[in-house]
Amino acid sequence: MAVGNVEIKDVTKIFRRSDEQETLTALDNINLTIEPGEFVSIVGASGCGKSTLLRIIAGLEKPTIGEVTCDGEQVTGTSVKRGLVFQNHALFPWLTVWDNVLFGLRSTGRVKEKKDLADQLLGQVGLEKFKKSYPNQLSGGMSQRVALARALTTEPDVLLLDEPLGALDAFTRMNIQDALIDLWKTREKTMILITHDVDEAIYLSQRVIIMSPRPGRVVETLKIELPYPRNRSDSNFTYYRNHILEKLDLAQKGADVEYVI
Amino acid sequence: MAEIVSTINAGISQKELRLLEQRDLTTTDKLLRRVIVFLPALFVLIHLAEHLFFPSNSNYKPSVAYAGLITLFLVALIIWIGFSYFSYRAFEKLRHDSALFIAIAILLTAYDIATLKTGALALPYFPWVGKVLDAMIADKSKLWECVYHSFKLLFTGYFAGVGIGLVCGILAGWSSKVQYWIQPITRVLGAIPSTTYMPIVMMLASSLFGGAAFLIGLGVWFPVTVSAMNGVQNVQKHYYEAAQTLGTNRLGILLRVVVPASMPTIFTGLTQGMSIACLTLVVAEMMGVEAGLGWYINWQKGWGDFTKMYGAIILICLTFILVNTILELIRKRVLRWQNGGI
Repeated sequence: MAVGNVEIKDVTKIFRRSDEQETLTALDNINLTIEPGEFVSIVGASGCGKSTLLRIIAGLEKPTIGEVTCDGEQVTGTSVKRGLVFQNHALFPWLTVWDNVLFGLRSTGRVKEKKDLADQLLGQVGLEKFKKSYPNQLSGGMSQRVALARALTTEPDVLLLDEPLGALDAFTRMNIQDALIDLWKTREKTMILITHDVDEAIYLSQRVIIMSPRPGRVVETLKIELPYPRNRSDSNFTYYRNHILEKLDLAQKGADVEYVI
Repeated sequence: MAEIVSTINAGISQKELRLLEQRDLTTTDKLLRRVIVFLPALFVLIHLAEHLFFPSNSNYKPSVAYAGLITLFLVALIIWIGFSYFSYRAFEKLRHDSALFIAIAILLTAYDIATLKTGALALPYFPWVGKVLDAMIADKSKLWECVYHSFKLLFTGYFAGVGIGLVCGILAGWSSKVQYWIQPITRVLGAIPSTTYMPIVMMLASSLFGGAAFLIGLGVWFPVTVSAMNGVQNVQKHYYEAAQTLGTNRLGILLRVVVPASMPTIFTGLTQGMSIACLTLVVAEMMGVEAGLGWYINWQKGWGDFTKMYGAIILICLTFILVNTILELIRKRVLRWQNGGI
């Protein structure tokens, strides 16, 4: 179990807005190492480039400067080694739940050998009864569970989560957070979660990376040394929460005046 | 109240649920709902009696075949009424369609009286429906041949246009290089109805059938190409990204993501293409092709036989209704994921 290491070296990403002359530094010299099997959260206010960073790790965007390596290999494009769960679940609406889950396996021609795994994963997220349903018939939370199962069937070493619970209500969110911990423990993947919910970051991850906006920089990396399952009203939990919120607040104040985008 | 709720949870039929929701209907309303389903059958019966037993104008005669057809319809209505006692859906559907059936029956009765019974609308321009039916039966082998030929021409042209249109449109939406060459063609040709080229195509084509099929195909090609191109270009970015991160190659993304995602838009092009195909078919048959229903209409006009002409018009209507119904069924089946129904 030594796969799933992600290294981000001197990554800078500059966007140029097409309608104007000015450029926007979304990420400014980011350096991070994520260990195999680690659960890391990246928190920050909107516009701090956290989603851009995740998309660069996924291989959907290229860094302007610097590089990302995954298990020693430079990331140049997308790969089945790095699964991605989107905020809006991005399930294919024309396929049933089951066909969505099998999509990646069909792409890589491994349906036969991995069908059991797909079955197991769908069971683990609690949706085995909805195999034949279409995504339009599911609630937001259910869709996100299917998206999790779909991203895990191809057995990625790293699972990238781009605010997957951002659009869900509080109860659904807590349920899926527990499902995430369950998946992380049983499947032993490296998990990188983008979120703007500080509680979610503390509840789930071993390490929280706090980012500041404009330009996107890492302000602090904080180890969360609490045993799982964590208690949201625990005094240590509250301590971490206050600490992170304070950092975020400072990070916010230090930033340039907000752009109107 | 709690008792009712527990009954509902215990498993309530669709009908009982509806009844609960309709509890504020008055007794008169309920009675009216029951009575209205009998009215279509009654009006059809009146029409049948009128056609057969009301004295006809001088040497005009009622049609036995027509009476038979109306009787069949009457029997179907009666069976439907019987069935509506067992199926709430059948009842609702019949109740919904009743007004329409009654209107049709009254219209047929009025037309029958105006033509067959009084001669207020005279032959040869206004034959009664029964006479048209008799003429169709008398000329049935010729008509079948025409229907067959029209279908053959319609489908040859339509499927050729759809096939080429889909390939052009999907590739143009997918690759900007293909779009560079396809878009000017659609811009220029799209504005002109394909029937414009009829005289020249009919002159140049080696066979009239081929020429007409080409024109139908051309007319279909345009909306199918444009809709497929738009559909592909509007596929949401996160579908591509999801497929990419799941290890799908470019061909896989094209066939398994882009094509199904554009299906809703493509179907609007297919439907539009079908109405253009029907239009072009009739024009082509009337102007050049020497077979098919369009040709038959013109031919009978030449003989001054309006009754047979009406027969062919009815057949054209039925043909196009059938074709469009089939297309609609295919659309519903392919896009069943849109409504979330299984």
